[in-house]
Amino acid sequence: MHKRDESVLEIRDVSKIYKTRGAFFGSSGKDVTALYRISLDIFKGEIFGLVGESGSGKTTMGRLIVGLEDVNSGEIVLDGREIVGLRGRAQKEFRRKVQMIFQDPYQSLNPQRSIYDTVSEPLKIHGIGDASTRKDLVRETLKSVGLSPPDDFFFKYPHRLSGGQRQRVAIARAMILNPEFVISDEPTSMLDASISAQIFNILLELRNKLGVTQLFITHSLAAARYLCDRVAVIYRGNLMEVGPAEEVIRNPKHPYTQALLDAVPKFGHDRDAKRYGTLLAKDRDVEEDAGCVFFPRCAAAHEDRCGRKQPGLSQLGDGHFVACFRLEAMHEA
Amino acid sequence: MVSKQNNNIKRSERYPWLISFLEGWSIFRQNLLGKIGLVLLIIFALMALCSYIPPWINPMYNPMTGVDPEITSCTPPSLRHWLGTDFMGRDILSQLLAGARIAFMVGISAAVMSVVLGVSIGMTAGYMGRFVDTLLMRLADMIMVMPTLLVVLLLSAVFGQLSIWTIVLIIALFRWPGVSRIIRGQTLSLKQRPFIEAAKVAGASHFRIIFVHIMPNVLPLAFLFMTFRVTSAIITEAALAFLGFGDPGTVSWGMMLQWVWKTGHMFQAPYWLLPPGICISLITLSFYMLGRAMDEVLDPRLRREDQTD
Repeated sequence: MHKRDESVLEIRDVSKIYKTRGAFFGSSGKDVTALYRISLDIFKGEIFGLVGESGSGKTTMGRLIVGLEDVNSGEIVLDGREIVGLRGRAQKEFRRKVQMIFQDPYQSLNPQRSIYDTVSEPLKIHGIGDASTRKDLVRETLKSVGLSPPDDFFFKYPHRLSGGQRQRVAIARAMILNPEFVISDEPTSMLDASISAQIFNILLELRNKLGVTQLFITHSLAAARYLCDRVAVIYRGNLMEVGPAEEVIRNPKHPYTQALLDAVPKFGHDRDAKRYGTLLAKDRDVEEDAGCVFFPRCAAAHEDRCGRKQPGLSQLGDGHFVACFRLEAMHEA
Repeated sequence: MVSKQNNNIKRSERYPWLISFLEGWSIFRQNLLGKIGLVLLIIFALMALCSYIPPWINPMYNPMTGVDPEITSCTPPSLRHWLGTDFMGRDILSQLLAGARIAFMVGISAAVMSVVLGVSIGMTAGYMGRFVDTLLMRLADMIMVMPTLLVVLLLSAVFGQLSIWTIVLIIALFRWPGVSRIIRGQTLSLKQRPFIEAAKVAGASHFRIIFVHIMPNVLPLAFLFMTFRVTSAIITEAALAFLGFGDPGTVSWGMMLQWVWKTGHMFQAPYWLLPPGICISLITLSFYMLGRAMDEVLDPRLRREDQTD
């Protein structure tokens, strides 16, 4: 489906640290590392899943890419152009290319603006088309996200719409500029399972019909498996495992990914069908932060190695990377 | 075809303010305080409108300069002067009507000015944040602790008689901080809402975010404040006038009270003392009751917005 060598977005060594401010003078609190030296490539036309638990930094990654927050170090390159710290005209041009779908459709639409106003706003901002071509574009876009007949929605306000409809409107707003790259930040976490499936299908269709490259941020491996070509598993700001979605889920190598899979409820199988059991029942006490970020919770960890040094990503097979000493040892052996 | 479909949608659906106005009105109608306030206000508004009638009937009913040629002292109510005359034979009823006009003028213009000032400063502080926020809010704190009345007294002592518009301006300049604090808070919380971030991602300018996305969401609150500001402006003006620092060229209720007091009719002529006193109390009460009712109308609406209905 995609060509390996054509990466749309390159993330190089990106770190984000939040400084907690003391009450009065300067920074006296502890710094919080949201992302630690993340490097990723996202290829043209793929849906890339970023999977992690709450607070793992996956949402921060999305916000850094669209420029809602600034990176502390590292660079993000879109189509060969550095996008960190863009201003003015260059930033506006970048905004046309990259759009975002937010988590909470109840909060991401302005309650005072009609659906037409909301969806056509990007066109107005970028001065695209006149009144009638805008209307056609909005109509077309609303239809493509499954809101039909579109004219019925033009003058409705968000409070008259259901959660699923609102999220469709949010997708329409993101898609109307015909962006190259769309980030969806847990777009279905506020919606019912059946509505979620519909939203996933809309996202898939966008990729298949329009070839939109997507970063899909989620906490659910099941959703990632359904939707994504490749996934990256992130834990406390560090990449744990990157690889083709099917491969990572069928054959997870990192103990954290295995723990995530253990946590997915399984119906209709034996309770103990296949469990990895890599999660410690009680967290280890760790004095120093030097080791692997997952070390405190990892049952498979080797005390002196994993507690001392942080493992780097190493390649296992075709595009499958894992950051774990256990694997390195297995490889060497 | 398309326009036909649009017309099929109920008219009210196209205008959110119309819906919220109708919704608000139905809540307001159940509010006794609000109804009393509204009725009182309508009466005062009629009084203000009627203030043009007496001088038109007969020049001697001119509230400021019209003097009854046959009367040179304070007289009790009669057919010729329904509320009596003041110490130099001017008609009290026509003064009272003119006072209503001044009260509305002072109250509403000072309120509008202070709310416009408060909203723009509050939105600027909330949106820009950092040192602009600190600067503006410390300024607001400084002004907030200054007693308006005292400052106006000092100013009029320094600059001599102040005209009614100067007084209005000063009241407005000293009454914005309360509004700006509330609006700043509202702006701060709106700024964090994802729909603002969505607009940013779409490429919206700061100008667009402020005026298209934030302003419509803070305006209901600003309108609420306007009614409370009217009350305080009217009271301040009346107090000033009573203390003798009002505009001598206008007939306000405060001025009338001052004339009663200065000419020593305080306890001799209740027909002169009571009407302006009662009017001041009632008009402030009515604006206050209206504000309270509007508070009740706006509050659940705001709450419902935050919830996910």
